[in-house]
Amino acid sequence: MPAQKLTIEPVTRIEGHAKVTIHMNDAGKVERAYMHVNEFRGFEKFCEGRMYFEMPYITPRICGICPVSHHLAAAKAGDALMGCPPPRPASLLRELMHMGQVIQSHGMHFFELAGPDLLLGFDADPATRNVVGLIQANPDLATKAVALRKYGQEIIKILGGRRIHPLFAIPGGVNKALKPEERDVILAGLDEAIATTQVGISIMRDWAEKNMEDINKFAVFPTGYFGMVTPDNGLELYDGQIRLIDQTGEQLEKFDGANYLDHIAEHVENWSYLKFPYYKKLGWPQGVYRVGPLGRLNVAEKIDTPLANEELKNFKALNNGNPVENTLYYHYARLIETLFAIERVRVLLDDPDILSTDILNTQRSFQGQGVGVIEAPRGTLIHHYWAEPNGQLTRVNLIVSTGHNNWAMSNAVDSVAKTYITGPEVHEGLLNRVEAAIRAYDPCLSCSTHAVGQMPMVVDVVDPQGNTIQTLRRNA
Amino acid sequence: MPHTLIIGYGNADRQDDGAAWHVLTRIASRLGRTVPPAPEEGFFPEGEEIDLWYELQLAPEMGEDFAAYDRICFVDAHTGDIPHEIFLRPVDDSPPASAFTHHLTPAACLALTRSVYGKNPEAVLLSIRGYSFGFARELSDETATLVDQAVDILWDWLKGS
Repeated sequence: MPAQKLTIEPVTRIEGHAKVTIHMNDAGKVERAYMHVNEFRGFEKFCEGRMYFEMPYITPRICGICPVSHHLAAAKAGDALMGCPPPRPASLLRELMHMGQVIQSHGMHFFELAGPDLLLGFDADPATRNVVGLIQANPDLATKAVALRKYGQEIIKILGGRRIHPLFAIPGGVNKALKPEERDVILAGLDEAIATTQVGISIMRDWAEKNMEDINKFAVFPTGYFGMVTPDNGLELYDGQIRLIDQTGEQLEKFDGANYLDHIAEHVENWSYLKFPYYKKLGWPQGVYRVGPLGRLNVAEKIDTPLANEELKNFKALNNGNPVENTLYYHYARLIETLFAIERVRVLLDDPDILSTDILNTQRSFQGQGVGVIEAPRGTLIHHYWAEPNGQLTRVNLIVSTGHNNWAMSNAVDSVAKTYITGPEVHEGLLNRVEAAIRAYDPCLSCSTHAVGQMPMVVDVVDPQGNTIQTLRRNA
Repeated sequence: MPHTLIIGYGNADRQDDGAAWHVLTRIASRLGRTVPPAPEEGFFPEGEEIDLWYELQLAPEMGEDFAAYDRICFVDAHTGDIPHEIFLRPVDDSPPASAFTHHLTPAACLALTRSVYGKNPEAVLLSIRGYSFGFARELSDETATLVDQAVDILWDWLKGS
């Protein structure tokens, strides 16, 4: 049969953020599959000329998924640029807001995005394999999942005041202290949030036990791993050094995020607008690495909260202490991080400094440039600003989490396509697995705009002459 | 009059993606309400007979809030993939999962309202064609014209109660 090209193209509000192209060979097998990111991110240019103190309010508009991460990374870059490290209470409060973001984002992903695949099955009827099908199948779980996300959102709202583009972190600190009654409100919801997350972990474990064959052939490949750690290599999401390990778990680097340019370079491919970061010393593509929950739990040797640390031991045992390479274990790692974030909320709220009003450093010592790094839910987020002495930005460089995972997502798509699509007839369940390979990384491809109504998934089978010989469409 | 919610969503910093914000400000003016100076100040439900609400995106916890209303109008924007400049139609009962995004559709939110909270408000979607999605708060000329028409359509829907 003639060579074919399959295209999976989610139609989003800005047409063509990303699509998957599966090239079939003459034998009807997958030759190569790609994930293309079609949208150019013009945001850095948009920010140039702005004042540094505007950035915590401008950059959250980049992303509707993790605005808090951009808000905090921008404030941290402002701290560095203006030489104004925040007082300890302000750092605690920023981290508290960040934990709220991690809880709501991870909770949303596991229960609402990954949940339909895991609980209803990759091959379930697409008409019901969605969040509504999940609700109908298990309304009690859905209620708990909604409450978990709401809990994270409430933390953000209490601190940020506004529900849209919170005003909270500013270079040098934060602009609002936490009141005792607000602390009590957050504490009151903590146990229920832990219980719901533990239900999620049970679901994940049960699913893994029953689907080990899928887990072990679904986009399993070696890479480096990259993420923030505490000084003694514990899991860290707000502030710490970056640790990079190789595919065997050996440490390659441990460095200050401010020095990221010494260690990371970006490769360009002509089929994607999104660049491909890699570790400079190993070169392209040997230096590719993964970030996000799987990357972070692979670089972390422990977690400094008891429940999450116990679960980390189970995670580490999956590959006998070596890095876990299975893409589907991103979901498990995400839940362990959720547990950590909730436990960390308690640690922060129990800290005597959390109610302090010493929340802003007003000293300024202009540094010329500043880097802010934070572990966004989906991976390491880097903001780097250069400025004139008056604080007007002359250059902005942003490396978003999804960028770090660009190679891994494309490779996962290729791997899953080759593993599951073994003949010319491609049914919906197989395509859903390809889509699930991307979904596991929880990418932020929509750049803050959203689809209306349905997001149809269209698959065109195109012959070498460009003729469409088969079209598959599902209302995702 | 039935207890009514008009919820608009979109990113007002991405031009026509924020069409709903512009619809809400004009409806607020017609209702004699105070119009917030900027989208980040938002509209939030305040227990009025006709409540106005503006958000960046729909989220699952809104399903609980929706249970308090008899009828809801979702206001959104769409691309040229949808073959209408403006449409007002009942919310589709067969919601999709968004493969890669964290926002929910009106149908998915309402499914939560029905399944978890046991309420079934009448719901319509008013959507306006967007032409430009750059980093700016001003609407494109084409969408600005459509917003004027959409406000009239929404006003008629409100009066039809």
